[in-house]
Amino acid sequence: MSSQDVLTHTFSNGLTLAAEIRPAIRAAAFNLRMPTGSAGDPSGKEGLSNVLSDLCYRGAGDLDSRALSDALDAIGMQRSGGPNRIAFSFGGAVMSDHLERALDLTADIVLRPALDPKELEPVRSLALQELASLEDQPQRNVFIHLNRAYFTNEYGLSFLGTEESLQSLTAEDMAEAQKSRFKPTGAIMSVAGRFDWERLKDAVEARFGAWDGSAPDLPQPIRRADGCYVHIEQDTQQQHIGAVYAAAPLEHPDIYVSRMALGVLSGGMGARLFTEVREKRGLAYAVGASGGYLKGCGYAQAYAGTTPERAQETLDTLIAELKRLTEGVTEEELERARTGLLSSLVMGGESTGARAGAISTDLYYLGRVRSLEEKREQIEAVDPASIAEHLKEFPPENFTVAALGPRRLEMPE
Amino acid sequence: MEFMHTKLDNGLVVVGERNEAAQSMACGFFVKTGSRDETPEESGVSHFLEHMMFKGGRPGENIHQQFRSIGAWYNASTSSENTIFYGRVLPEFQLRFIAQLTNLLRPALRKEDFETEKKVVLEEIAMCADSPKATAIVKGLKAFANGHPSGNNVLGELESIEALERDQMAAYYERRYSPSNMLFALTGAFDWGGAVQQVEEATRGWPVFKVEREYPPHHCIHQTHIAQNDALSREHLRWYWRGPSCQDDKQRAAEVLSSVLGGAVGSRMYWNLVDSGLAKSASMGAYAADQYGFYSARAECSPNRAGEVVHKVQDIFRDAAENGVAHDEVDRSKQKIASSLVLRSETPMRRLTPLGIEWTYRKKYLDTDEAVNRLLSVTKEDVEALLAEDPFAKGTLVALGPLETLEI
Repeated sequence: MSSQDVLTHTFSNGLTLAAEIRPAIRAAAFNLRMPTGSAGDPSGKEGLSNVLSDLCYRGAGDLDSRALSDALDAIGMQRSGGPNRIAFSFGGAVMSDHLERALDLTADIVLRPALDPKELEPVRSLALQELASLEDQPQRNVFIHLNRAYFTNEYGLSFLGTEESLQSLTAEDMAEAQKSRFKPTGAIMSVAGRFDWERLKDAVEARFGAWDGSAPDLPQPIRRADGCYVHIEQDTQQQHIGAVYAAAPLEHPDIYVSRMALGVLSGGMGARLFTEVREKRGLAYAVGASGGYLKGCGYAQAYAGTTPERAQETLDTLIAELKRLTEGVTEEELERARTGLLSSLVMGGESTGARAGAISTDLYYLGRVRSLEEKREQIEAVDPASIAEHLKEFPPENFTVAALGPRRLEMPE
Repeated sequence: MEFMHTKLDNGLVVVGERNEAAQSMACGFFVKTGSRDETPEESGVSHFLEHMMFKGGRPGENIHQQFRSIGAWYNASTSSENTIFYGRVLPEFQLRFIAQLTNLLRPALRKEDFETEKKVVLEEIAMCADSPKATAIVKGLKAFANGHPSGNNVLGELESIEALERDQMAAYYERRYSPSNMLFALTGAFDWGGAVQQVEEATRGWPVFKVEREYPPHHCIHQTHIAQNDALSREHLRWYWRGPSCQDDKQRAAEVLSSVLGGAVGSRMYWNLVDSGLAKSASMGAYAADQYGFYSARAECSPNRAGEVVHKVQDIFRDAAENGVAHDEVDRSKQKIASSLVLRSETPMRRLTPLGIEWTYRKKYLDTDEAVNRLLSVTKEDVEALLAEDPFAKGTLVALGPLETLEI
């Protein structure tokens, strides 16, 4: 799985094809990722990307909604993708024999969706229901609120939209968004599994070669620097607590130093948060932290769910542990985080779907696919001193905290 | 792929599916025990015990740090009938990983750890209470079981966990954790000879005793159960009907039938309920258990459309029972299930549970190719033979949400 194994080709329209052959696997996973996302939804039209994604599957090319769905099912294609804030993807996984047919259908879905105005109403209804359903999912809802508090521009808006914004969407909005934003410049088609490279290249060119143009640039994320506390009052069994703070962006040369620091904090059971919050104090069942990445912007977010009586203690412990990172990590802790990260790099590459996603992520953020060797070297070079140095640049502080539940909490000093 | 199996003198079964091309190996213990094997007083003990295993056996040892020092990804899970301890590592760590897993199964069950972990389990119960999806499943399974132990709540009840004592857990462990009631499975790039010898030596001193499971008859009744909860904004509907068990060869046809009627996209439930936006989601599946099995369907919708959703679901099942299914629906469903079978078999970790469960309950080995071939051999007639038994005439409906009554 070195970079030599990833074959790439950029077509004249700016679309890059990147693929890794796995002859032992009988299937292939693919992902077409375009550099536009919900952060590009027009003002007052939040949720547009989410609705558009659904609508694209309701008829495309010569096929109406039912015929398209049957055609995807006839080749047993497992659909994947959808929009996030900075990317819009369409993809799936099929038995290798069906890969070209899957690309046919995907080209129709992306380039020639029917966007039938009749289909907009049911899709809108589903989007409104998804929004309403958030009330019944406090664990998910707290992160929508956290994100809204942390990012102060388009990036803080919920990709699910609001009732008002969803009601305002028109068929023209959909057609306009598809026409102006689904563009090949900077788009990436990644494939992993069993296929013939030359044939794949021709197949992608035949289907996407005549496509042209560039999507408008996405805005830069803007976030608050001072931290804050947001309370969402709801009658729940547990208090759901989320915290976010700035961390290194994925493009940072020391990204693995940052990820190792997160590994010490939350690299599986037995890492600091698990040990301090769950094992020693029994405060929570679910507790952890992970990295989040936008283009040129990195952050870390933590979560813990606990009963309201113990929520303040949980928040205090959580924040104290995040801050304690700057007091240093031991070589022992680091060694465990290192071994875990190295193992997951190898083992994570065993699934074609995960591999297609990882290739695409590397290309999008870095413009190239890193080899396993390169990542290994970077991970092995991390030591307690480099962590300490890195955390001077990205100290865990100025936390934005959202807590959903019956009890209002105090921000720890 | 190469399959191997053996039975140790203490009754522990070891099975393996070796894949030389894999970059990792996965393995784990499959203990044939779960909430269906609990008494009402010890409700939730199987799952709580699963947590306690990670507290270690020898003083001062830290199980998590041991696993993490070899880069293992590991976990455990408890269901109504299986408790599984498993994980994956790079092949060079096989010896240490197996040593750690066998050690894991000999816990000290210290009183102090028991009290701390009880709080964690109570948090897990509270977390589930905040998830209507999880709550509807617990209520649905219990109502459908109608007294059969397969409906026992895996997490237990708030009251049973609060009242549970350390010695009750120890007694349960001594009653269920005999090597003769376990299986050790391996997948991926492992060394078979080394693994068998190591497991044999490590488990040699484990007490062996007879472990039984009860199989009382299941009385399936027709019922609607309204679980009103004003704090919820949506109606969460769940249906349960009797289906093939995992000993029953009809389970493959049952999977195809479920996909035709209730696959997440492209099924009859999808076109009748979701496509129009009537329900946010609607789907069904077939769940085969030890001499017990059921179909389960679900839908989430606005409370004021719930009656309509229930009617449409009834119509879908009545129509299927009366008019059968079409060839092309069966073919599409088979394609979908076949590709998911292949994709699920990509990594040693994903192969482990199917291998372990298949051998525990059927004493059979099915490689992925064979599983796909058998699935593709299911015919429209096989599916209609299931419908001829009229499985959907009698079942349980649970409605969790703001509604006090359901107009049906």
